[in-house]
Amino acid sequence: MGLILCATRGGEASIPTQLKAIEMASQTGDELAFLYVADSSFLNMTAAAVVVDVEDELVNMGKFLLAMAAERAQKEGVMARSVIRTGVVREILPVVAKELEASVIILGRPAGESSQFKEADFDHFMNGIEAETQAKVIAFKETIPE
Amino acid sequence: MQSEDLLTVLLTYTSGSGDQPYLLAALLASGIFLLVFIAISFHLLHETSASLLGAAAVLLVTYIWGHFNPGMRMLDFDQAMRFVDWNVIFLIMGMMIFVGILAETNIFRWTAFRFYRASRGKPWRLLGSLILLTGALSALLNDVTVILLLVPLSIQIAIALDIHPFVFVIPEVLASNIGGAATMIGDPPSTIVGSHIGLSFGQYFVNMAPIALICMLALLIIVRIQYRNDIGNEDTEGHIPLIERLAAEAGLRKPETLRKAMIVLMATFMLFFAAELFDNIPPGVVAISGAAVLIAWVRPDMHHMLREVDWTTLLFFIGLFIVVGALDATGAIGWLATLIGVLAGKSADSAALLTTWISGIASAIVANIPFTVAALPVADFLTQKLPAAGQSGIVYWALILGADLGGNATYLGSAPNIVAVGLLAQAGYRLTFKRFMRDGLPVTIVTLILASIWLLIRY
Repeated sequence: MGLILCATRGGEASIPTQLKAIEMASQTGDELAFLYVADSSFLNMTAAAVVVDVEDELVNMGKFLLAMAAERAQKEGVMARSVIRTGVVREILPVVAKELEASVIILGRPAGESSQFKEADFDHFMNGIEAETQAKVIAFKETIPE
Repeated sequence: MQSEDLLTVLLTYTSGSGDQPYLLAALLASGIFLLVFIAISFHLLHETSASLLGAAAVLLVTYIWGHFNPGMRMLDFDQAMRFVDWNVIFLIMGMMIFVGILAETNIFRWTAFRFYRASRGKPWRLLGSLILLTGALSALLNDVTVILLLVPLSIQIAIALDIHPFVFVIPEVLASNIGGAATMIGDPPSTIVGSHIGLSFGQYFVNMAPIALICMLALLIIVRIQYRNDIGNEDTEGHIPLIERLAAEAGLRKPETLRKAMIVLMATFMLFFAAELFDNIPPGVVAISGAAVLIAWVRPDMHHMLREVDWTTLLFFIGLFIVVGALDATGAIGWLATLIGVLAGKSADSAALLTTWISGIASAIVANIPFTVAALPVADFLTQKLPAAGQSGIVYWALILGADLGGNATYLGSAPNIVAVGLLAQAGYRLTFKRFMRDGLPVTIVTLILASIWLLIRY
């Protein structure tokens, strides 16, 4: 039995990706883990005073969002575990995948104006993770409702 | 006569002799400032890195090029230090220490959750409470900190109530920028201008709090219209397990620290307001004194405490003051001031309206902190030139209102906007430029109109 690792942030656009991961775990009987990476690097865009533990705030929010994802899984009869890390998803994802010995990694492929990735960058990112972890990487297109 | 004034200013730059500004030095100072401004506004470099590079360039040109050509001495080290507004630096540092210690007690999360409970499942009441809470806290504390502490919880409450998080977060950010205008410590432009003209906390508050309150009421009305289709009128219990989870994380921590921090904070604010009774103690002195007493009383781990102070912000301000100081010292800003003086004519009202809308539009597009610092010498010039403006200080108030309220138009307009967009992205909600502007621009236009009317009536 393998492990499906689903990297997610929990927003509206990620829900279809979470549901695909849950469906896949339900069909294969594989274990399911949701990963949330608390990344505070957006603060580098401003020199505004940051005197609070931002990572702590983000970790709290991540716990909340993964609790919702786990609840969605539970409704489908799948038990999911939550993994929360701090850092940058590009760096953390392969580390966690290797740590958990994930056989499949599921990601949302952000699309549209709001996407942080260019298509080619995202493919490069996926290929890099696949090569590094030996896990199969599957990406589902995320769309943002207006 | 006015165009002759402009010509005279331009001609004096070409002389490069005696005490007159030197054209090449003025152009170089302008170029350095523009590069810093572009790098900050379009996020090409971290703000602190950009301002420090600019300051280094000013000083290196002064010492190295100025060695061979005295006309290129823009600003030496001693002059540069005089251009740094240490009142601003100490005020920001002192308030950072307060917030750092208070945040450890979870008081902000606790308060926001109490507001949620008090709304008793009525979403409109909750939204109104969050707007007022954010506005009030942003008036008393640094606005970015308020957003960092309140927005994650607001996102979670919205999700638990099955309401789109934008509906809570966008109005909170708008409220933060408006509330920040109410006091001298709320928004950086308020701190910078207030300190520059030597205002006490109380003098600032009396002049700006009423218009900030009016704008806040306008925000409540606009939000009610903007989100009429996003929030229902019916009560909602929300997702009970998620709400319980939030409740569990909303407890107070370190009650003894909280008690001490609240006592010192209240005493500090009393001294802020009473400053005029004691030779106008600068707000920076009050803030740093309060912070020193708090540290001595609470006895936090000093190394931890010093890490809590965000040095990047302080270095950003120091670098920026030096870069703008070079503009001032070389006379580069004189040309712009003269041009605006020509446009404004002899009327203080026209000058104030022009300043409000120029700073409002500029702050919507580019970073409002460097804009405010650069606009100060222009405001000085207009205030000296127009006797009516000199008496009332109307141009300075216009600059504060324009810079603070204009920041609501786009998400690039102010630091709280950028931080909120980042927090939403971390929850998987991507707030686009267009979406933010859809809600922020109408609020900006209405509040700038209200500010303009206020300036004309009040001064």
